[in-house]
Amino acid sequence: MTATAVEVKTRRRSAKRRSLGVSPLILVFVFVPFAVEAVWVFWPALQGFWLSLTNWDGLSAPTFVGLGNFREMVSDPIFRTALKNTAIWLVLFGGLSVAGGFGMALLLQKERRGVGIYRAALFTPVVFSLVVTALIWRVFYQPDGLVDSVLRGIGLGDLIRPWLADPDTALYAVIVPALWRQIGYVMVLYLAGLKAVDPALYEAARVDGASAWQRTRYVTIPQLKGVNSVVLSVIVIDSLRSFDIVWSMTKGGPYHSSELLSTYMYSTAFQSTQLGYASAIAVVIFLLALAVILGYLIRAFREET
Amino acid sequence: MAPDRRTFLKGLGVLGAAALVPGCATSTSSSGSGGGAATGELALQSNLSAEQAKAAMEKLVEAYNKTGGGTVKLNTVASEIFRTQLPTYLTSANPPDLYTWYAGSVANSYAEKDLLLDVTSVWDTMGNYPKSMQTLSTSAAGQKIFVPTSYYWWGMFYRKSNFAKWGVTPPKTWAEFLAVCQKIQAQGIPPIGIGLGDTPWVASAWFDYLNIRINGAPFHRDLLAGKGDFTDPKVKAVFTRWREVLPYFDPKGKSFPFQEATSALLGGKTGMFLIGTFFADSAPKDALDDIDFFQFPIIDPNVPVAEEAPTDGYFASKKAKDPEAVKKFLTYLATPAAQELYVQNSSGTAIPANPDGKAADTPLVAKGKAMVNSAAELTQFFNRDSSDALQPTADAALTKFLDKPDQIDQILKDWQAAATKVFKA
Repeated sequence: MTATAVEVKTRRRSAKRRSLGVSPLILVFVFVPFAVEAVWVFWPALQGFWLSLTNWDGLSAPTFVGLGNFREMVSDPIFRTALKNTAIWLVLFGGLSVAGGFGMALLLQKERRGVGIYRAALFTPVVFSLVVTALIWRVFYQPDGLVDSVLRGIGLGDLIRPWLADPDTALYAVIVPALWRQIGYVMVLYLAGLKAVDPALYEAARVDGASAWQRTRYVTIPQLKGVNSVVLSVIVIDSLRSFDIVWSMTKGGPYHSSELLSTYMYSTAFQSTQLGYASAIAVVIFLLALAVILGYLIRAFREET
Repeated sequence: MAPDRRTFLKGLGVLGAAALVPGCATSTSSSGSGGGAATGELALQSNLSAEQAKAAMEKLVEAYNKTGGGTVKLNTVASEIFRTQLPTYLTSANPPDLYTWYAGSVANSYAEKDLLLDVTSVWDTMGNYPKSMQTLSTSAAGQKIFVPTSYYWWGMFYRKSNFAKWGVTPPKTWAEFLAVCQKIQAQGIPPIGIGLGDTPWVASAWFDYLNIRINGAPFHRDLLAGKGDFTDPKVKAVFTRWREVLPYFDPKGKSFPFQEATSALLGGKTGMFLIGTFFADSAPKDALDDIDFFQFPIIDPNVPVAEEAPTDGYFASKKAKDPEAVKKFLTYLATPAAQELYVQNSSGTAIPANPDGKAADTPLVAKGKAMVNSAAELTQFFNRDSSDALQPTADAALTKFLDKPDQIDQILKDWQAAATKVFKA
């Protein structure tokens, strides 16, 4: 290579660099993780889309069936139950954990003696893995377990039933421990948000003669807008990906009555080895998550501007 | 899940610890990837991850390596992981050479995909094995693909002292069985124990037994192989019979797994329990002497008697790097010495598949062996006669039946629809 050629090349490269305005180091930091992501995340995800159009038992070659899996879903009663349960989960688990977490944060926001203990106690469940949580709660729910003895103790013995084995109660019996955990988490997020509210605003509101309720309604809640968006995205994502607690408590049973889309996808894939159909369910979950989150983000951005 | 029932519980306490099982099964996953390096060492992938069974396997491999016939490297994988990974192992480019697995339909499905090593030459050294074992180890294409090494049996287990206290004797026929149930219930005790929470597959034992007693083993096998229809009136007849004893089932059995049903039986809180011998692994030793079983009652004397005797053993990958070394090891595993070594070091309720192998020397095992030997036909278990993929459809259908027996027509219709989907996939 001649000296001029090298010179030209370097000049060209530096010109390019200037035009992009990015140092090669940054490019490395972007593209290396991107390459890794592409292999471990994007490519499998794309494969999942392809698999959802096939029938595949994991052994032989997949056979292409077009939208057959999605058509089958429409008439699949288990899928419908799972879809319905996922909606119930989103509303009950999501709604109650926001309400509960916010309530607890309001209650425990003031610095009082011993308040730290209560905050810690409410936050403790977050520390445990959900599988451990499930184990503890299963002991509570077992026949003649804590739940049954408490009910009997307060004279409501007639309500006793096999909580996790009764199709009418199984889903709700699983939501309770999920909430027990999530409320502490949401509470911490709101506590942090409440700390950031300027006390002068309350002072001013009080001077204007606003009641406690009015202060909450017109000062606290609007000031928490930023936190709300975080909490809502966390809740939606957590609800749609809820799997561990249901799987370790009921495995979607008895006879699919507490099935969520996530558990149904898992059992279809790894127990019934219908990997094509399971991929189709995964696609549905993905689209749902995308719709909810996009819908929310678009609204949030519109409000910002 | 059904396949790990054998390895499920060893080393765990009966009570609360039983609930830990699903968590353990996944968290103790030793990395199960890949085959052995091509060092002339055979890679043996084992799903016998329970403490005792694992130790027994280690002793067995150690003993073989000492013979100088070759070296085998044992790789123990949690059974649930093993089950879901098995297809991946077998289809990978460099698969482990040997695998612990189950005989019958579940092995045959891999043979159909041409993934298993033909081990006919090993069978030439196994002349003393009964015909039933041969049939069980032969693929649909007529090749020997499996080497059975041990089996166990299912029966109605009970405590001798409790039966004496309640004044009942083991029944032989369905009518006698109903009478025993009534008598036990009159003492205020649920006669039939069951454990469906977390282990719903236990209910399949009832379906299997009622079906082979009423319709016979060939019908049962065809049905499970997808050659029948669950909406068949003959299948409904099974549930009609089952309904007669439904009032005698322990209502709490829905909520806990079979391990807790075991402790309920041992504690005298239920009368009898239809279960495989593996349940005894977690029983305290002093209770074991008090345990006995009787054969599932005869319903139709004209139907040849079949028993459930799930058989365990080994198969090898078609892509094994050194097929001759694999066959040499399999030949060793088929000997009475190797099987006795395993049985002695494991929980002791398994029976060697080699007729010359000595089983544990207890009256219970002798009785079980005699029952299996006198049976006209042997079946494996629901998932082993059908497939792991069909098992969840049975779990849903059977637990629903136990809960809502009057919806049986709809349940059977749903079951058939779910089964069709599995067979089609």
